[in-house]
Amino acid sequence: MVVSAVSRRSRASVRMGRLGPYGALLPTLIIIGLFSLYPLGYAVYLSLHEYVLTNPFGHPFTGLQNVQEVIGEDYFRASLTATAIYTVMAVPMIVVVGLLAALLLNTKLRIASFLRVVIVLPWAIPSVVAGILWQWLFSDNYGVINDLLYTAGVIHHYIPWLSQPNTARLALAVAQLWKELPFATIFFLAGLQTIPPGIVDAAVIDGASPFRVFWHIIVPLLRPVALVVLVYETVLAITTFDLIFIMTGGGPANATGVLSWYAYQETFTFLNLGHGAALSFIIAVLMLVLILGYLRLLRSEDLYTEGT
Amino acid sequence: MSDSRIHEALFNPTLSRRELLREAARWGISVPAALSLLGSGSGHVLADHEQRSNLLLNFVVWSYGVSTIQSNIKQFEKRYPGTEVNLTDFSWLNYHDTMVTRFVGKTPTDVCYSSDHWLQEWAAAGWLEPLDTYFPAVKQYKSDFFPYVTAGMTYNRHLYGLPYYADTWAFMYNDHILKKAGFHAPPRTWAELTHQAQVIQKKKLSDHPLILLFAQSDPGSIEVWMSMVYSQQNGHLFDSHLNPVFDKKGSAAMATVQWITDSLNKTKILDPSSLTAAEIPVVKAMQAGSSVFTILETYNLAELNAPGTSKLSGQFRMGLMPNSHHTVGYVRFYAMTSQLPSRGKEVLADGWKFLNYFGGRINGRYPVVERWAVQNGLGFGERSLWNNAAIDRAFNKWGNVGILRKNQEYARIKEGLTKYYPRWDVFSRGELQHAYLGQESPAAALSKMADKWRSLKNGGS
Repeated sequence: MVVSAVSRRSRASVRMGRLGPYGALLPTLIIIGLFSLYPLGYAVYLSLHEYVLTNPFGHPFTGLQNVQEVIGEDYFRASLTATAIYTVMAVPMIVVVGLLAALLLNTKLRIASFLRVVIVLPWAIPSVVAGILWQWLFSDNYGVINDLLYTAGVIHHYIPWLSQPNTARLALAVAQLWKELPFATIFFLAGLQTIPPGIVDAAVIDGASPFRVFWHIIVPLLRPVALVVLVYETVLAITTFDLIFIMTGGGPANATGVLSWYAYQETFTFLNLGHGAALSFIIAVLMLVLILGYLRLLRSEDLYTEGT
Repeated sequence: MSDSRIHEALFNPTLSRRELLREAARWGISVPAALSLLGSGSGHVLADHEQRSNLLLNFVVWSYGVSTIQSNIKQFEKRYPGTEVNLTDFSWLNYHDTMVTRFVGKTPTDVCYSSDHWLQEWAAAGWLEPLDTYFPAVKQYKSDFFPYVTAGMTYNRHLYGLPYYADTWAFMYNDHILKKAGFHAPPRTWAELTHQAQVIQKKKLSDHPLILLFAQSDPGSIEVWMSMVYSQQNGHLFDSHLNPVFDKKGSAAMATVQWITDSLNKTKILDPSSLTAAEIPVVKAMQAGSSVFTILETYNLAELNAPGTSKLSGQFRMGLMPNSHHTVGYVRFYAMTSQLPSRGKEVLADGWKFLNYFGGRINGRYPVVERWAVQNGLGFGERSLWNNAAIDRAFNKWGNVGILRKNQEYARIKEGLTKYYPRWDVFSRGELQHAYLGQESPAAALSKMADKWRSLKNGGS
C-alpha cells in the first residue's frame, strides 16, 4: 500500500514534470495566439469574404475573388511599379552608405567616436516626425535644400521635389536612407569588428591594396550581415507607409502610391476590408519570394565550409 | 410662437408628462412625435423628487477653431446644465478615415461634423440618422437654407443635419500686385487669366502667379477642379441619370483639364507645387506674395486680409469665377450618429438641444453660426443671415458683401454625390494629376474616370 502510494505520487510528479514546461509557455502562447494568430486568421477570413464597411448587411464568401479584383485593378500594377522603383532606389543606397559609414566608424580617427553617437540619432526620431522634417526640407517653395542648392549656384530655379514623380521618389528614398542608416551602419560595424585582424594583416603583408583587401576579404566576410541588412531594409521599403503618408500622400499622380499605401487606401479610404486583407497577403507573399531569393543569392554557409 | 419657445418647452426637464403633451399639441407637434420623445412609459421627464445627473454627449470635429468650439460648448453647458459635452478633434485630412474607424469600432460618438460628400456613404452604412425622423421641428429650417445646402444634407429625402457652415469656392487675387502689373480688374475669363498671369511673369512680379489646391491627399482638390468645370459656361459632369458627360469631346471638364495642363507645362503660370499644396500652403503662398491668383474657400479671404497675419494683409480681393461665374458650394454640418438614439430618450433630447443650439435658432437668432461668421468669416447656409447687421459689418472688413452674396447665388452642389462618390473622388484625383503632369492626355484621364464611375455605379469596385 505504501509502495503503491509512493509510486502514484512519483507518477504524478513525472507527469507534472512533463507538463510543467507547457504550463510555463502557456501565457506566452496565449499572447502570441491573441495578437498574432487571431489577427492572421481574421485577415484570412476577411480576404475570402466580401467585406465593405458601407455595406454592413452582408459579407458573403467569395473565395479568391478579392485577390483577383485587386490584381486586376490598374492601381495594382501602378503600385507594384512604384514599390519596385522605390525599393530599388532606397535599399542599395542604405546598404552602400551604411557600409561606408561603418568603415569610417571602424577607423581609429578621433571623430569616429563622436560619429558613433551622432549616427544613432535618426533612429530615436519617430517616423512621422522624420516625415514632417523631410517634407519641410524638400518643400518646393521654402525648403532648405532648394535654398542651399540655389545659393551655391547648383540650380537656377527651385526644384519642385515633391511635385514631380521622379524627384518625389528620390526625396522619399533620401528620407528612408536617413531614417535607416543607423541600423545598417551598426550591423555592418558589428560585422567589421568580428573580422579577425590577422586575415587583413596577412593580406596587407602579401601586398594587397586597400581596395583588394576590401573587395576580396571584407565584403565576402560581411555577407551574412549584408544578408540581414538587405532582407530587413527590403521588407521595410516594401511596407513603408508613414513617410509616404506624411510627405507625399501617395502622389503626385500615384507615383509614390506603393503597395502598402494601396492597402491602406483600400481598407481605410475605400472601406473595403476584403481587398485590404487580400493586398496584405499579396505583400507578404512578395516579401517571402524576395527573401528566399536573397537567401539563395547570398548563401553564406559556403563561406565557412570552403577549405574545410 | 418662436421656435425657441417650442424647444424650450419640449425639453424643459421640469415639465410634467401631461404638461409636455399639452404643449406639444399646442404647437402642432404630433402626438406620436411627442410620445416618441417621451418614450413608451417612463419618458424623459423627471419627477420632482428626482435629481438629474450630468449626461455626456460625445462630439467629434475636425481641428478648426477648436478654442471657439470649446467656448461654444461652455455656453451650451451653461444654458443647459446637466449636459456635458466631451469634445474630440482630428485633422481634416484624416477625418474621414478616422471617423469610419470610430463608427465601425463603435467608439462613443453621438454628434459629429459631417460633410455633403460623405453623407451618402455614412447614411447608407447606417452610421448617421436622419434628424427629421427624430426631431420633426428641424423641418422648419429648410425654407431658410440655400438650395445647395439642403441638397447637401439630404439623403433619401431625409434631412440629416443642421449647417455648421456652408461656403463656396471663390476666385481670389492680390489686388496690389495686379495693379502693379497694370490691370485694374480681375480676369473675366480663363483666357484673360492666362494673359494677366503672363504679364505678371514678364514683369517679374511672380514666377508662377497661379497656385491651386491640388494635393492628391486633400479632398478639396476635386472641389477646386469641379468649380473650374462649373465656371466653364455652367458645365456639368453628369446627366440627370448620373451618367458621365465629362468625358465627351468638347465638354467643360475636357476644356478645364486642358487649360490646367497647359498652365502647368506650357505657359507655366501654375505653380508646380500646386500638386502637393493643401489649403494652408496655398494660403501661405498667397501671403508670401509668391502667388497672385488662387481658388479657395471663401472664409480664407478673412484669414488673408486679417491684420497682422502677413505683410500683404488687406491686399486680397475676391472676384467671381471667370467665365460663367458658377462655382461649387458645399455644406459641412452637425450630424447625429446612430449611437445617440440608442442611448435613450433623455440623451436623445439632449442631443437635439445640442444640435439646435449649435446649428439652429435660439430666441430667433443663430448664435453659433453667427459667431463663426463674424469671428472667422465662415460662410453660412441660411439666407436670412445676409440681413444680419453684425455679419454685414464683419464681412465688409475683409471682403465685399455684394460679391460674396452673388457667389453664393451662383453656387451649385457637387455633382455625383452618391455612396460611391468617395471612391471615385480618390481615384479621380490621381488620374487628374496624371493629366496635369502630361503622363496621359486629358481625354484619356477623363475616360478612365468615366469608366471608373460606370463600374462603381454598376456595383463594381
